[in-house]
Amino acid sequence: MVVIARRLAGHLARGVVMILVVATISFFIVRSIPGDPIAAHTQKLIEQGMAPEAAEQATRVLYGFQATGSLWEQYGDYVAGLLTFDLGQSVTHAGAPVTEVLGEAAKWTVLPVLAGTLLSFLVGIILGVYAAVKRSGKLGDVLAVSGSLLHGVPQYVLGLLLSAIFATLIPILPGDGPVDILYEPGFNAGYIGSLAEHAVLPVATYTLAAYGGWVLAMKSSVVTVLGDDFILAAELRGMKRSIVFRYIARNAILPLFTILALSLGLLLGGAVFIERIFNYPGLGLLLIESITMRDYALMGGAFLLITVSIIVANILADLFYSVIDPRVRSGEEVSA
Amino acid sequence: MAKQAPGVRIDGLTVVYKTPAGELPAVRDVTLTLEPGTITGIVGESGSGKSTMALSLLNAVQPPGRIAAGSVEIDGLGDVVGLRGEELRKARGKHIGYVFQAAQNSLNPLKTVGKQLLDLGRSHGVDDLRGLVREAKELLGRMGLDGARVLDSHQHELSGGMRQRVGIMLALVLNAHLVVLDEPTTALDMITQANILKIVREVHAERGLTTLVITHDIGVVAEVADRLAVMYGGRLVEQGPTRHVLGAPRHPYTRGLIRAIPRLVGDIAEAQALPGRPPTLATVPKEGCVFRERCPLRMDVCDTVDPEAHADGARAVACHAVTVKEHA
Ligand SMILES: Nc1ncnc2c1ncn2[C@@H]1O[C@H](COP(=O)(O)OP(=O)(O)O)[C@@H](O)[C@H]1O
Ligand SMILES: [Mg+2]
Repeated sequence: MVVIARRLAGHLARGVVMILVVATISFFIVRSIPGDPIAAHTQKLIEQGMAPEAAEQATRVLYGFQATGSLWEQYGDYVAGLLTFDLGQSVTHAGAPVTEVLGEAAKWTVLPVLAGTLLSFLVGIILGVYAAVKRSGKLGDVLAVSGSLLHGVPQYVLGLLLSAIFATLIPILPGDGPVDILYEPGFNAGYIGSLAEHAVLPVATYTLAAYGGWVLAMKSSVVTVLGDDFILAAELRGMKRSIVFRYIARNAILPLFTILALSLGLLLGGAVFIERIFNYPGLGLLLIESITMRDYALMGGAFLLITVSIIVANILADLFYSVIDPRVRSGEEVSA
Repeated sequence: MAKQAPGVRIDGLTVVYKTPAGELPAVRDVTLTLEPGTITGIVGESGSGKSTMALSLLNAVQPPGRIAAGSVEIDGLGDVVGLRGEELRKARGKHIGYVFQAAQNSLNPLKTVGKQLLDLGRSHGVDDLRGLVREAKELLGRMGLDGARVLDSHQHELSGGMRQRVGIMLALVLNAHLVVLDEPTTALDMITQANILKIVREVHAERGLTTLVITHDIGVVAEVADRLAVMYGGRLVEQGPTRHVLGAPRHPYTRGLIRAIPRLVGDIAEAQALPGRPPTLATVPKEGCVFRERCPLRMDVCDTVDPEAHADGARAVACHAVTVKEHA
């Protein structure tokens, strides 16, 4: 327990530093963009007839830091804003707080990508075990080959294909937007049913594109464990097949959890094509939009959010690992 | 089934591995009897087929290998070569205990020893799991370990010598009376080696076991074995009571092995490494004597005729040169 607590403390400290570094970098990048967008904005407001003071105030609210004063003062202001989760306001969203805009978009990213990741993980693990155990049989070959083929097909090709088939040719599934506007958002059957229905194609796309990787990873992990001495030892001690199978599965799945946690960390930034094809107003689209529209506060906020989610996923992966792997728990090398 | 030291009769055992060059024998036509209550040692250089033979005793030769011919009769079990499925699984662990090489990781790294002990008990339908734990603690205590602490540990928290004792405990805790130890002291330091061997001897005597110890280290069998069998290239080339075989080795391979032991007392230069290297599956001669390439007594007949084992009282030797000399 002490070891875990110490690890957690170390991670948190490192995480905070990293977030600060990323925030700092994004602050200075925005500040060093040619033409100084902040000064330009203030200037624009003044030209539109606003009093200089009011224009500066408005710009400050917009970008989350002051346009006047030295760079360091502005930076201090920006960091102070961060500490209160104030990332400024989005110009392209009628001045709504960036945090609010991000939160709204995040929910449309998390829903299909999380479901898709977990589903592809589950499917991949099961098929991977099967492919490993039956690796000399026909079905094992088919699984492994189809796994690597699908792993190589880009997500957007699969997405367009599914959308063309199931939303256009044989329109049995909705492929446009995350939910029917008919329904009152909330915890009611109609709304949730509509959410689920709309999620089928994006989730299927994600799963099809991703499960092949899990099949291959799980297969090779199981094959490695099958060759480990302790599996033969368990068999020679007359252990039941079901128990030996559990030994194999648990040891083989262990390294995959790290990959899973890391891919969950990438989840917030990683579904641009799916969001575009199925018209989900998620973070991927928002980020692209903020870049094309030069909405700097939103851009910085989105990068920060993606960074934070990766850092948090790393911390969780490590903590989770130390809970399920006794070698890590007691602070030893895994490879021992 | 009577729980007492069983006798084991290995007869005409041949085990082959499938290789790109076809199925090649790793153990060929081996006949060996383990008398009830004795410790038998098998020695031979690495690759001579010892582990393959040990696994045959549990009918556990791993693919791409298979037992191609022969039988392994164990008192109370019958011919294990014919055992399949559940029958075979239940024989393993309960009637035949198998102890792995010390450095091998024979425990699930994610579970404590105690949990794996319970898995073992459940696998063999042990109702009294508390009794099983008590027995395990007693065995571990008997071997100089703190039983409760060890059962609470994971593999990585135990030293090589401790793991080996855990392996012995797991082989005995279900009351198996035939115990096979494959390289039980390899990769252990000298003091731990001596401790483990002492434990093997004592537990063997106390529990009334039939024990098979496999090693490439002739010093190890000299220490514990009543009888000694020497393997080379998948063949049993010499066997007999340990003292006789070591005191008056007959087969040129056995003599070479003994000469190669560096003695603590005496001139280290007297130890002579056996020239040449042991054969692999692909280089074992298909006909004639398997040892002839390295043999100082090689004759013409050795190239064509595989020497049969000639019994002489409690001893047997398979060598043309030795047979010729005796008959001359
Ligand atoms: N799985 C396998 N596939 C092919 N050859 C094998 C396999 N296992 C062992 N062998 C070969 O069988 C021979 C005997 O091996 P083994 O029984 O492990 O010998 P030992 O235990 O005396 O070192 C060696 O030549 C080895 O290369
Ligand atoms: Mg071996």
